[in-house]
Amino acid sequence: MLHAKIIDTKKEKIKISTAESFISSTKFGASIFFSGTVRDINENKKVTGITYDSHDELVLKSFKEIYYEADNKLNIKDKVVFIEHAKGYLDLGEISIVIAVACKHRDQAYILSRYIIEEIKKRSPIWKKEHYENENSEWLKGNPIQPN
Amino acid sequence: MKIRLELFGASREFSNKDYLDFNINKKISIKDFRQEIINYLKLNFKENKAFKKIVETSAFCTEDNNIINDNYKIIKNQKITIIPPIGGG
Repeated sequence: MLHAKIIDTKKEKIKISTAESFISSTKFGASIFFSGTVRDINENKKVTGITYDSHDELVLKSFKEIYYEADNKLNIKDKVVFIEHAKGYLDLGEISIVIAVACKHRDQAYILSRYIIEEIKKRSPIWKKEHYENENSEWLKGNPIQPN
Repeated sequence: MKIRLELFGASREFSNKDYLDFNINKKISIKDFRQEIINYLKLNFKENKAFKKIVETSAFCTEDNNIINDNYKIIKNQKITIIPPIGGG
């Protein structure tokens, strides 16, 4: 079971409690919650916030592909996965992404959680524009996507 | 033939709008379209090397959300999305 959503920060915030409700089940003995937040320093620059941009349809497509790949690549078929990513402006400390997974055993949960965030970093079209204390801002360089 | 290039991430700096429109006379590959975009940027932003690099390192995507390679041919009025290097999470 998968929940995948882009959260427009002008309308709502990402909440870990929503993830907790979604993955909660007596079928699974291991749950992992990963959250990414906006931090204050990047490459020696004082960051005041980040604007996230997203190609929503492609991002959601990539989340689904990553979820289904876990069946074969990781051999983790019984699982619940919750992924939400922010789009728009976030202040320091605010949550940009939550990945919550529930599996039967802890080994699977750790592996799945790590796999999902690493694949999102490689494949999901999301961009960050950092805002700095001196009122400048800059799109971060990122990694090129390769066609299949 | 009109090609609307939808802008995301760093490529949003190419325009005040969310897109750029190109009028192209004949069918064109993504490889050649990439060069058209670079030519447009040269004209409008002089020698902005950072913009050129963004285009050179970007992927492109069709309206049906498929990432396409440099050999893909645009043969009709179409929306194409530029996907600059990514970095979410």
